[in-house]
Amino acid sequence: PAGPGGVAVPRAGLKKLALPPDYSGITFPEKAKLKFMDKVPAVPKVRREPRQLRDIRGPSREATDFTQGQYGILALGGGYLHWGHFEMIRLTIGRSMDPKSMFAVWRVPAPYKSVTKKSLGHRMGGGKGPIDHYVTAVKSGRLVVEVGGRCEFEEVKPFLTRVAQKLPFPAVAVSRESLQEMRREEEEKRLNNQNPWTFERVVASNMLGMRKYLSPYDLQLKGRYWGKFFLKHRV
Amino acid sequence: AAKMAALGGGGTRWRRAWLPALQLLRRGSKAVTRHWKAMHLQRQKLLAVTEYLPPRPAVPPRCLPRPAAAEGREEDGYARVLRRQVEETLRGSRMVAVCQFNSMADEDVAALRHFLRRHNIHVKFFLNEVVRPVLAQSKYRNLLPLFVCRNILLVSPETRAREMLRVLKGVPQVNLLGACIDDTILSRQGVENFARLPPLEVSQGQTVAALSLLSSQTSSLLQQGPAHLTALLDQHIRRLREAAGPAEPPPGQSTG
Repeated sequence: PAGPGGVAVPRAGLKKLALPPDYSGITFPEKAKLKFMDKVPAVPKVRREPRQLRDIRGPSREATDFTQGQYGILALGGGYLHWGHFEMIRLTIGRSMDPKSMFAVWRVPAPYKSVTKKSLGHRMGGGKGPIDHYVTAVKSGRLVVEVGGRCEFEEVKPFLTRVAQKLPFPAVAVSRESLQEMRREEEEKRLNNQNPWTFERVVASNMLGMRKYLSPYDLQLKGRYWGKFFLKHRV
Repeated sequence: AAKMAALGGGGTRWRRAWLPALQLLRRGSKAVTRHWKAMHLQRQKLLAVTEYLPPRPAVPPRCLPRPAAAEGREEDGYARVLRRQVEETLRGSRMVAVCQFNSMADEDVAALRHFLRRHNIHVKFFLNEVVRPVLAQSKYRNLLPLFVCRNILLVSPETRAREMLRVLKGVPQVNLLGACIDDTILSRQGVENFARLPPLEVSQGQTVAALSLLSSQTSSLLQQGPAHLTALLDQHIRRLREAAGPAEPPPGQSTG
């Protein structure tokens, strides 16, 4: 509202009293805090496995939706999580949350994939190096941890964003509503795109012989993924 | 491997559709890298061509009026209660004065309330957004332009404008904007004139006097003729007495 002289006059309206949130349908798991994840699986691998970076590439098929909690950390890129990351997440969340009113749950398995490293200072050759550590592969669109309980998103968001910034891939703190909103916006963008030329269309019908310069995986990835990166601004 | 086989075949390039997955693997890094892999120019061009174009309506939405914000507002029970209070206050008061209210210290507000309460004037604070719909539906429609920014209502079941003006003159932070006294909307000058009017009893007495003036005049009118005659005759007798003063007063034939 503009007052005299064009200056906006601040005005206090009626206070709207909101009802307290309803936490009736929430079941707590046995342990509220995050479980300790092993550095090495119980049965360590004997056979060294190939790198297989395709477990980083593309969208995730598992753990994309919420199960127990209301808030979580969504991965917006692919990457590997090793034991250091797991400890960081476990300790930060354990420190910042209140175990009486909140709980947290892992949505990624303990490190299972062995990663080899040759010892430093040696030339190429001489076979594959020994197993150095174990990692978990995370694809874009996967939830890493879930937090729930008698709490609001604003309480949980600060420490979840702090954890998300420390992860090796871009990540963001989400709630059920914000994830739904994100998906709805994506869908809306896809539908009201005024550009008649879409990546999907060009690749599917191989216009201008574009498939010579693209990967066969681009048929599924549709230009939104490049290597381990997720291009959020695309379509 | 396919190229080697083709060269070994006879020197001619064996033209066949070749899959880039096999051939381009020979050069450069793998598909998934830790760093941002440089894209082929054709791919960059394709991504540039297939970018997202947001819809652009002919009229930008911010130029259109905003009905959605005004429509879906739920009826607030608290607002209803406040509106009922406003309605009751307006119904039970003969004088309603709207004043502009600037910030004052709390004790000054309390002192103002006290002085006005002495003359049975109540100070009411109402929110504009609560008062506006109430006024729009009642008979005080024309007071709506006064309810802008911070204001207070001075309501009273009796009309004592003079005392109210005297109290408000001592408080510079409260300025009278307008009033509605006995279903008459008055501006600031109107209220001052109203205050200068004599009190009710005096004006009633004046009205009675004005009305009975005619009847009081009737008797004097009727008596005017004989009174005039009496005066003339008295004057005449006096002159005769003065004339016959030195001489013997004649036997009085006065018919007075």
